[in-house]
Amino acid sequence: MNFEPDEEQRLLAASVARLFEDHGAQPSADPVRQWRDYRDMGLLGLPFAEANGGHGGRFEDVMLVMEAYGRALGQVPYPAVALLAGRLLEAAGGPTAQALLAEMIAGTKRVALALYEPGRRYRWDDPATAAECDGEGWTLTGAKIAVLGADRETVLLCPATTAEGLRLLAVPAGTAGVAMEMLPTPDGRQAANVRCDDARIPAAAEIGDPARNPALIAAAVDGAIAAACAEMVGAMERLLGLTVDYLGVRRQFGVAIGSFQALQHRAADMLMAIEQARSMTIHAVAMLDAPAAERTVAVAAAKALVNRSSRFVGQQAIQLHGGMGLTAEYPAGRYFQRLTVLENLFGDTGHHLDIVERAGV
Amino acid sequence: MELGFTEDERRFRAEVRRTLIEQVPERIRQAVREEKPLPRAWMVEAQRILNRNGYAVPHWPIAWGGRDWSAVKRAILAEEIDRAGVPKPLPFNVALIGPVIAAFGSEAQKRRFLPPIANLDLWFCQGFSEPGAGSDLASLRMAAVREGDHYRVSGQKIWTTYAHKADWIFCLVRTGQGGRKHEGISFLLIDLRTPGIEIRPIRTIDGYHHLNEVFFDDVRVPVENLVGEEGKGWDYARYLLGQERTSMGNVGFSRRRLDRVRELAGPLLDDPGYRRRLTWAEIELKALEITQMRVVANERPPSAGPDPKTSILKVKGGELLQTAAGLLLDALGPEALTAGFPQAAAEEPFQGHDARSALVSAYFSSRKYSIFGGANEIQRNILAKAVLGLGKAA
Ligand SMILES: Cc1cc2nc3c(=O)[nH]c(=O)nc-3n(C[C@H](O)[C@H](O)[C@H](O)COP(=O)(O)OP(=O)(O)OC[C@H]3O[C@@H](n4cnc5c(N)ncnc54)[C@H](O)[C@@H]3O)c2cc1C
Repeated sequence: MNFEPDEEQRLLAASVARLFEDHGAQPSADPVRQWRDYRDMGLLGLPFAEANGGHGGRFEDVMLVMEAYGRALGQVPYPAVALLAGRLLEAAGGPTAQALLAEMIAGTKRVALALYEPGRRYRWDDPATAAECDGEGWTLTGAKIAVLGADRETVLLCPATTAEGLRLLAVPAGTAGVAMEMLPTPDGRQAANVRCDDARIPAAAEIGDPARNPALIAAAVDGAIAAACAEMVGAMERLLGLTVDYLGVRRQFGVAIGSFQALQHRAADMLMAIEQARSMTIHAVAMLDAPAAERTVAVAAAKALVNRSSRFVGQQAIQLHGGMGLTAEYPAGRYFQRLTVLENLFGDTGHHLDIVERAGV
Repeated sequence: MELGFTEDERRFRAEVRRTLIEQVPERIRQAVREEKPLPRAWMVEAQRILNRNGYAVPHWPIAWGGRDWSAVKRAILAEEIDRAGVPKPLPFNVALIGPVIAAFGSEAQKRRFLPPIANLDLWFCQGFSEPGAGSDLASLRMAAVREGDHYRVSGQKIWTTYAHKADWIFCLVRTGQGGRKHEGISFLLIDLRTPGIEIRPIRTIDGYHHLNEVFFDDVRVPVENLVGEEGKGWDYARYLLGQERTSMGNVGFSRRRLDRVRELAGPLLDDPGYRRRLTWAEIELKALEITQMRVVANERPPSAGPDPKTSILKVKGGELLQTAAGLLLDALGPEALTAGFPQAAAEEPFQGHDARSALVSAYFSSRKYSIFGGANEIQRNILAKAVLGLGKAA
């Protein structure tokens, strides 16, 4: 085993860290500019095969990028668009998916996977959203919630129930019959709730096929979970750094509060929680190419533990900052908000513990 | 021993419950149950209804609207107010400044302030904390220099809840130097409309605006607004902290949150992992309820200062509210992400995209229960030192 990044990975990590910190320091971020920067640095194509127009990177590289993204509190929806929807397109293959993927890598089109529905928690494999075929195309009806990375120009990948099983339709957000509501998420970004009412989708907009779709989506979601774990590790690491700095400078009772042993032990507990989270993230990444059943359990176990660490680290960081931790301006609170969103994303702790338990581990 | 409630106490509870539900409008109680921030006018409306019924200040001296109800009855009242979704009587008014004025204020101050404080005709906020004085409150620096018949006050307060809604602020200020840092502190009442005061909002991670910084630049405060004697402010502050502890554990509020969990959790109630967390919360609540009553039934004179055991109520009550907020957040699943979240820029009380959005905010804001009014670490220091006798004196 060797957990050290090689020379090339070190360079990648250093340059994305510079870029992301730079973006974070811009007072009024221009998302279009930032997206172009991601493309120019090769990030949009990072995890895709060269044959598909990508850069042939490995998921270890993605892990390094996402840690840096988490540390810098990245704003653009890179994980949702490239790492979730993009990887689903690549795995699905076929002309429609390949064309969309090429445009995504070129930075000219955004795609987002509309996974969740009202009242169904984290289940995506039997959507209430339904599509009917009439020879010329599909008529799509249903509601999707919490679509991260979507805006009004996005192509939404919508899983829909049909007579033949789970189909995946590429639906431009501007399609007639598609209503999209953009809502602020608790970490200050935007996500969409989407309603489709008899939206007409051309037959050629189908991606994948009902026989493979559940497995394709599951694999893409597992990759996105591993990426989210890496992001959370990066965010937790920075949050602990902020907290330790604060313990050093904040003085009460004539001393730095970091001299109180109760607080030292708390910080040490946070450190342990983060290191365990990092280990499980590595485990998840290492298992992404394993057979589906093993992969899913490893990823679920990772998300459960990273979630638990994240709740602890986030809450304690606020606690150790006192009133300062509750302010919207001070960065600790923003990391706590981001971690809370990520903890929720792709399944909370209970959801992932269930998966691990069902596998009989 | 009488381990259960007496017949009289039960009757009292039933009567309070009936009165609250009959008299406080459903619109207000629903907003409270949904944990939405209330418009100022609604809070005033609710407190006036409570006051009319003798429910706002039962722990005050009878001459000023108090009732001779036992502490157990007052605890029952506080619990029922929370359970019914009635906004608590403004704690800064009824639990903090009112009793201090009643005990140490001049006759003129009592007449001028106590009736409007009870009725929320006058809204007080609490100006204790400063940027450099949080847990270590006694290191506060805001200075009041006496010049004839007034003080000139300069300095800054921070984390002042509702300063932007308040009419007056009660402040700890430094009137003398030297000696121990607890000495030379005085207790001043300041009209927030006085020239030289600036209130700046602090946005919090729940997306709302409750907190403020309050800046004082050479503010003239008449000497008649000094409470008690100059230099005795710390004693009054300690007295204030020893006041009404009957709702310290927030038992009724936790009850309401756990009820809400049951309403919202739906199929999750059949999920063994979730169910077990909820069951533990219920058991913790029962224990807290009884611990609360044990502390309450053991009445001590306010002059004895805070009962160190109230630290147990503060920590356990706050943790339970935080646990319940976590259960609510988890009950929402991915819908928490796009339930709508108040934008930092909005000034109006945000009523939320739907009822769930306020619960997401509540998860974030609930971190405050282990920070304000003596952080959990400070409470544990008190328990370790004052109750267990470990280490040096607090
Ligand atoms: C929502 C909210 C509302 C508030 N409203 C008001 C108000 O209306 N009026 C008002 O005057 N104040 C108000 N406060 C201020 C509140 O009382 C202070 O936040 C509190 O006293 C803690 O002080 P601090 O924030 O400066 O944290 P600090 O004192 O800096 O504490 C930071 C961390 O260090 C820990 N710590 C400090 N000392 C020790 C020690 N000796 N041993 C171990 N750990 C220690 C603390 O527990 C905390 O975890 C409010 C605060 C909040 C969060």
